[in-house]
Amino acid sequence: MELTINGITQQLEVRTVGDVIAHFGLEGKPVVVEADGEIVDRERWGEAELRQGMKLELVHFVGGG
Amino acid sequence: MEDDRYSRQRLFAPIGDAGQAKLADSAVCIVGMGALGTVLASHMVRAGVGLVRLVDRDYVERSNLQRQMLYDEEDAAGGYPKAIAAERKLRRVNSEIRLEAIVADATSANVESLLEGMDLALDGTDNFQTRFLLNDACFRQGIPFVYGGAVSSRGMSAIFVPGVTPCLRCLISSGDSDGETCDTIGVIAPVVDIAASYQAVEALKYLVGDAEHRREALVSFDVWGNQHFEMKLGAPRKDCPCCQRKEYPALQAAPDEAISLCGRGTVQIAGSRPLDLERWRERLAPVAAGVKLNAYLLRAELPEGERLVLFPDGRVLVQGTDDFVRAKTLYARYIGS
Repeated sequence: MELTINGITQQLEVRTVGDVIAHFGLEGKPVVVEADGEIVDRERWGEAELRQGMKLELVHFVGGG
Repeated sequence: MEDDRYSRQRLFAPIGDAGQAKLADSAVCIVGMGALGTVLASHMVRAGVGLVRLVDRDYVERSNLQRQMLYDEEDAAGGYPKAIAAERKLRRVNSEIRLEAIVADATSANVESLLEGMDLALDGTDNFQTRFLLNDACFRQGIPFVYGGAVSSRGMSAIFVPGVTPCLRCLISSGDSDGETCDTIGVIAPVVDIAASYQAVEALKYLVGDAEHRREALVSFDVWGNQHFEMKLGAPRKDCPCCQRKEYPALQAAPDEAISLCGRGTVQIAGSRPLDLERWRERLAPVAAGVKLNAYLLRAELPEGERLVLFPDGRVLVQGTDDFVRAKTLYARYIGS
């Protein structure tokens, strides 16, 4: 389906937020996901279904300092 | 007015005379006096925050000078603890506020006393383990935790306020990790200044009582890639072990005996007893080359190639290895078990 991820519109074979995380190899990484302006609870990533045209933001926490 | 060092800040209406008085009455703790911490401390001290507590476990090295703006070549050559070198510099900047330098590692054993009497904690750390510890301690104490992070050309900041916003644990899990640190992919100084300045301005808003202007988002940016994004923090996670279930996991865990520090292949051994540095200089001088003692720490170059750095609080840094077993072996060989 077509999704806009961090501002880039792309076609991905995914169904849930968890699939997107897996697609980008972000499992176990300090990442927060926002879908259409709402943060998706990380425990719901596996069941949070995506819809055509959704806007996702994947924010990777920065650890240095 | 002319000789008032805060005149320009008083003229800024949201602070004004009332805000300036509140800042003078405030106390903040900065944990980690590296790149973020030095910028944070400069802002807090120059702004006239009444008490600024500086906590750091490390000492100044040449590789810090590219971005840790309070230190100079003399600090690196002398191998001074960062908290001490920063305090010395900041006293010359503002002698009218109180500064407290604490050379220590923030752990579950001491974090609550480090935050005692503080109005908020500023994150100058370089690792998530200490951030979760600060997050939990701040929420237990009911004071804000002002997160900041920077690596490569990317930075982030958010203010977490108990009872008002989610906490760090609502957003990411303490099990998450990645290998991206300043020591693996580098960092440029401007992004650190920006991240720390976002932290500093949220601290000032909070300290002067301007809750209305609190940034309600996690701000993130890539200053090389020209990106900027704000994510609304929303509501706390219902079963958050810190801010909802109030279990504060990081405060329940015993301090680690050995940890790997962000950088330079360094393992810190916590140690179990204070170290008399003068006595240790005498002991190590015959077996190690270049044993150097200053008022705060002792450095010894080992024949094995590694370096030991001893602190009076009992901590020993083993530099030149990331291998815990190797570090513990050297510790046992020279310091004892």
